[in-house]
Amino acid sequence: MTQTLTSRVADRLRAIVGEDQVITNPDRLVAYESDGLTAYRVVPRAVVLPETTDQVSEVLRVMHGEGIEVVPRGAGTGLSGGALPTPDSVIVGTARMNRILSIDEQNRLAKVQPGVVNARLTEATAPYGLYYAPDPASQSTCTLGGNVAENSGGPHCLKYGVTSRYVTGLTVVMADGEVVRLGGAGLEAVHGLDLVGLFVGSEGCFGIATEIEVRLLPKVESIRTLLGIFDTMEAAGHAVTDIIGSGLMPAAVEIVDNATIVAVEASVFSAGYPVDAGAALVVEFDGTEAGLDDDADRAEQCCLSAGATKVIRATSDEERIALWKGRKKAFGAMGRIAPDLLVQDATVPRTRLPEVLARITEIGREYDLKIANVFHAGDGNLHPNILFDRQNQEELERVEKASREIMTLCVSVGGTITGEHGVGVDKRAYMPLVYNEVEMDMLRSVRRVFDPDGRLNPGKVVQ
Amino acid sequence: MTLARSLRSALPGVSAREWDQSNNDVIGLGGTPEVLIRPVSTEEVSQILTWAGEEGVGVLPLGSGRHVGPVGGGKFVALETSLLSGVDEYEPADLTITSGTGTTFSTVDATLREHGQWAPFDSPGVNERSMGGFVSEASHGPLWAGYGSLRNHVLGATLVTGDGRVLRLGGKVVKNVAGYDLLRPVVGARGRLGILTSVCLRAFPLPAHERVLVLKGAKLTSLIEPALLAGTAPVLPVSIVVVGQLSALDGSSALVLRLHGAESTVDADQSAIEKHLGIPLDRLAEQEADGCLTEIRDRGGLEPRCVEVSVLPSRLSQVVAAADEVGVAKAVIDSYAGRLRMGSSDMSADAVSTFRGAVESLGGALRVTRWDGVTRPKDTSCRGAELQIAQRLESIFDPAGVLWPARQ
Ligand SMILES: Cc1cc2nc3c(=O)[nH]c(=O)nc-3n(C[C@H](O)[C@H](O)[C@@H](O)COP(=O)(O)OP(=O)(O)OC[C@H]3O[C@@H](n4cnc5c(N)ncnc54)[C@H](O)[C@@H]3O)c2cc1C
Ligand SMILES: Cc1cc2nc3c(=O)[nH]c(=O)nc-3n(C[C@H](O)[C@H](O)[C@H](O)COP(=O)(O)OP(=O)(O)OC[C@H]3O[C@@H](n4cnc5c(N)ncnc54)[C@H](O)[C@@H]3O)c2cc1C
Repeated sequence: MTQTLTSRVADRLRAIVGEDQVITNPDRLVAYESDGLTAYRVVPRAVVLPETTDQVSEVLRVMHGEGIEVVPRGAGTGLSGGALPTPDSVIVGTARMNRILSIDEQNRLAKVQPGVVNARLTEATAPYGLYYAPDPASQSTCTLGGNVAENSGGPHCLKYGVTSRYVTGLTVVMADGEVVRLGGAGLEAVHGLDLVGLFVGSEGCFGIATEIEVRLLPKVESIRTLLGIFDTMEAAGHAVTDIIGSGLMPAAVEIVDNATIVAVEASVFSAGYPVDAGAALVVEFDGTEAGLDDDADRAEQCCLSAGATKVIRATSDEERIALWKGRKKAFGAMGRIAPDLLVQDATVPRTRLPEVLARITEIGREYDLKIANVFHAGDGNLHPNILFDRQNQEELERVEKASREIMTLCVSVGGTITGEHGVGVDKRAYMPLVYNEVEMDMLRSVRRVFDPDGRLNPGKVVQ
Repeated sequence: MTLARSLRSALPGVSAREWDQSNNDVIGLGGTPEVLIRPVSTEEVSQILTWAGEEGVGVLPLGSGRHVGPVGGGKFVALETSLLSGVDEYEPADLTITSGTGTTFSTVDATLREHGQWAPFDSPGVNERSMGGFVSEASHGPLWAGYGSLRNHVLGATLVTGDGRVLRLGGKVVKNVAGYDLLRPVVGARGRLGILTSVCLRAFPLPAHERVLVLKGAKLTSLIEPALLAGTAPVLPVSIVVVGQLSALDGSSALVLRLHGAESTVDADQSAIEKHLGIPLDRLAEQEADGCLTEIRDRGGLEPRCVEVSVLPSRLSQVVAAADEVGVAKAVIDSYAGRLRMGSSDMSADAVSTFRGAVESLGGALRVTRWDGVTRPKDTSCRGAELQIAQRLESIFDPAGVLWPARQ
């Protein structure tokens, strides 16, 4: 049961952040009971919305003194329950920390507050001919603080790498309120330990990031996008192996399977993908105009040799957006055909994709569940999406069993239990598939280095 | 009982012999280890570290020992990794390669090249380096603009902590967020957090074509502006460096750009960059290019005394202006990354310290990557709370302080 916050503590918080920025009204708290993984719901004691590093520090000092648990939260789009409250917790939300603090054109750097929405940084840097590379599919809503905490990826991370490649420095408020600066551009030669790299992906357990310094990239000159239609998933998988094996370096290689195509085509997001196709493959190249057609020709050849029944090439921005639509709207479309959707996330070595996908289909059959696959094929990052109805307890149990089998499968072929969504609460039970007890202990010890009392985002990642 | 005897009786199977003093010349350590141990497996490394903890002696991990620097007093043994060698797993289509840390980089690279792949991290003397030393130093090569830092491309590792625990860190897939990323602080830790016994590296397809373009200049300083401008061209070269007095170019200083891609792409890229810079560039013939690139790769890394500096690119000119005393005329400057490397046989510790002060006042950092003298000048270190976190982290990886025996 969620405990209410005493008015004494609530008043102290209000004195720090302002009257309206502490939410204790139960009706309003419900909005914070889960993140993007709605299978778990817990109402927090309160939500605090600070605006500056100093306010976060003061808030955490109060929480520390009172022994109250703290759950950091960005936009709440996380898919592993990372921002799920505990009954004893107060959420510290970054919604008001949404300022871009500086854009340094010359050194291609930006400094932002954690509540800045991912896509807004790219918009703001566009006039300088720059952009922020990591592009999670949720980029129009998720925050950079959430991205840092999850080490988020996105379709274009195949060529450009995930969040950790771009974060150069952080200001972090520790569980006891202490403000710490980690790293910083220009300081890479310091002969020390890479604590920025360690903090990225720490899922809100090590501290609250209050300022984030990131590298920007020069905007690409041109783009070519191909859509390959295949009769079978296996053929699409071979095309991917051929494209990567031929030395091409696509910016993105994404696949959706038949179940996803059917869902998309039946929805308002219809993208014109043939509903009898076994798989659709989106391949994108970016760079200088000169070489792009050659690259696209070679990729098209790989698709055709692997058995593509059709390859379409976008020649304008509108066409490009249309080709991507079936991939980008997949989650939204699936959300409409079943009451609940579990977006799974795992990575396997790319060469093991065809056998893993075949086995996932079998697992779906064995547990009588509908599983639709959408994935970042270029780096072997799978999203088997399980459609279900939470009200149906028996079905929910089958979902859990099937999930565990899928995770076990991915680990057994040399993969891992999450490629970009994090462990949160959802994957905690699968951690022993990857780590032995000694390694789990080490994870716990490292967490204690940052938060000795374990009050920051408790119950996440490791217990 | 001597340490070698104690080790032999505790771990009879482990190869250990008295330290041969002639090794001191090879690697230029200040202090002298009592024993040279050459483990053949992760299990042996774990046993050795457990033994060392019980005996209260330090363990110094050595690849070539070239980048270790002087070691102070205290009892310690050297753990040399060359028998932890061999490529363990390589699946070309996955673009990942796992090898023992005693394997030389050149062995890994040759294996990759057989399959049209490579590891684009050409830091100084890279071919002779052990994978363990290479990853532990995370040293910087001139291909940063195109491929980024090594830290992003080490996918997994096996680490034995100071008290002998064996940890598998990361994995062999490119995207992996299962648990906190303990691998990141291990890469570049110079052996402080444990001894690496295997590493998994991401491989890249070999570029179809490489073009090397140069702009010669009488003075290094006059080349920094065009180098910074090249970093804003619509096409980003994979490498943008300014280098002083290249023998491969008859002693000229030069801005050297590298382009990777299909021949037609590279042609177009070259025109785009020349247009952007407003000056034509000289294209080097293959042989000339090879000599030039090898010199750039090794410069500032193999001389007896070497330093590496990082700073915001916009402050490079100021750093260069402050670097006279430490041999800036022969520096290698990666203007895109904001990195500068210099080496000589005669830079003084005082000059390095003064230069470090200048670099720090410009918001940058300096580290000494090789030093053959007795007193190694200090590196820029992190401070305050950040330092405390680093120290707490070290103490959980190495509770008895076995791994950093009186190192400077
Ligand atoms: C005494 C001696 C004998 C040798 N005998 C042989 C031989 O018989 N056959 C042969 O092929 N080669 C031998 N070598 C060479 C050596 O194993 C490799 O050639 C080496 O290439 C490259 O080391 P390095 O420069 O990468 O690392 P170094 O310069 O030695 O080390 C760089 C940094 O990384 C740390 N470090 C190094 N390795 C690790 C690790 N695994 N884990 C954690 N930290 C580490 C070091 O402490 C140092 O801080 C010998 C070297 C020495 C010193
Ligand atoms: C439709 C959809 C598509 C998605 N696509 C992708 C994708 O392509 N790639 C991908 O990687 N993810 C994807 N996600 C997952 C999610 O968007 C990312 O994990 C994102 O980074 C979460 O950001 P957020 O602001 O919503 O964070 P939240 O969900 O609010 O929080 C996520 C975690 O970060 C912590 N946190 C938040 N802010 C801070 C801070 N300032 N300091 C410390 N910790 C903090 C929280 O405690 C929590 O553990 C998708 C989600 C949805 C719903």
